[in-house]
Amino acid sequence: MTPRDISNLIVRTSMKDRAAFDLLYRQTSAKLFGVCLRVLKDRGDAEEALQEVFVKIWTKADRFAVSELSPISWLVAIARNHAIDRIRARREPAAYIDAALDVADPAAGPEAAAVAGGESGRIHHCLDELEKDRAAAVRGAYLDGESYADLAARHGVPLNTMRTWLRRSLLKLRECLER
Amino acid sequence: MTLADDNGPEPEGDDLFAAEYVLGVLDADEREIASRRIDADAAFAHLVDAWEVHLSPMIAACPETEPPIRVKEAIDSRLFVAEPRAGLWSSLAFWRGLAAAAVAALAIYVAVPYLNPPLEQPRLVASLAADGSDVRYLVVYDAADREVGLSHVSGERAAGKDFELWMIEGKNTPVSMGVIPAGQTAHMTIAPAVQEKLARGAVLAVSLEPAGGSPTGQPTGPVVAAGDLKGI
Repeated sequence: MTPRDISNLIVRTSMKDRAAFDLLYRQTSAKLFGVCLRVLKDRGDAEEALQEVFVKIWTKADRFAVSELSPISWLVAIARNHAIDRIRARREPAAYIDAALDVADPAAGPEAAAVAGGESGRIHHCLDELEKDRAAAVRGAYLDGESYADLAARHGVPLNTMRTWLRRSLLKLRECLER
Repeated sequence: MTLADDNGPEPEGDDLFAAEYVLGVLDADEREIASRRIDADAAFAHLVDAWEVHLSPMIAACPETEPPIRVKEAIDSRLFVAEPRAGLWSSLAFWRGLAAAAVAALAIYVAVPYLNPPLEQPRLVASLAADGSDVRYLVVYDAADREVGLSHVSGERAAGKDFELWMIEGKNTPVSMGVIPAGQTAHMTIAPAVQEKLARGAVLAVSLEPAGGSPTGQPTGPVVAAGDLKGI
């Protein structure tokens, strides 16, 4: 399936074409399940998230027309955002900090190791230009759904400090990516 | 700290707010606000997309994992179960009852013209019948020919109505295989996706539909015959 085929399936899904929706599921569910698992780290939770993600895709497929993302990026963004919303909704504040402390340093995650070149290579190269703990915070937020409060607790800094760190890091990151 | 302090209407604030949304660090309330703005404010949605383009390569290498089949079943039942007659069609007990009836009837109808030559390709047969209906079809699926042959055993369609053939795999919603051409025998070509499922043993059913077939893509009339495919 080319990106164009996937776009076509999303557009047909927005017209409530069930055959297209079924095919879209077959072609993309493994990718989106991988994303839900990566963020949520719990199979049962990821299965429920994937259900909700495809319900959302069915009901909001018309939004794809106004997005500037590639079809796969659009689908992945729905899945990742939904998984993060789920993390925000599920955690009691106390459990939340414990869980954040348990998470291993994501900088050493498989993505960082697996990536060789291209776009993926660039983002990791640009992350490497940041201070190490700030790059870890960016990855922790994007890939593990950690909030400012989680990250502040894990790095042992006040929440406002973390906010300042990350905002500066994001702007530096963009500056590097657009270079 | 409040949102208003940091994310006022100035463009830079919006840009950072979009970045924080995409990064995923906002709390639940802030994410809710951002998500509503994406729907309502095209300029803000544009900022969010731009950040997504920048950051999405981080997750591009995330490994694929095949989800279990029950996820798709749950999605289908959430999205599509409210259709007319879905209660009956999705009832497992209903299909089990029909399957049992079909097995009983099989001995009678696995019959004459189809059994002659021994074949290497799988051949499956079903007798389609249902309680309270006199409609009976004998169906033979021949994998080599990629078609089903139907023999109309008994029961007439009402004026201005057609019989439509459906395939049901597990608890999924029925997939139309087309309107059954009138006549004593009929042949229908099978789409490749349906072939695979038939080979694994799906249930077939016949419903009474308006002339030309179901207008909705799902059965709208009564099921007049059903049965599951068995190897012969």
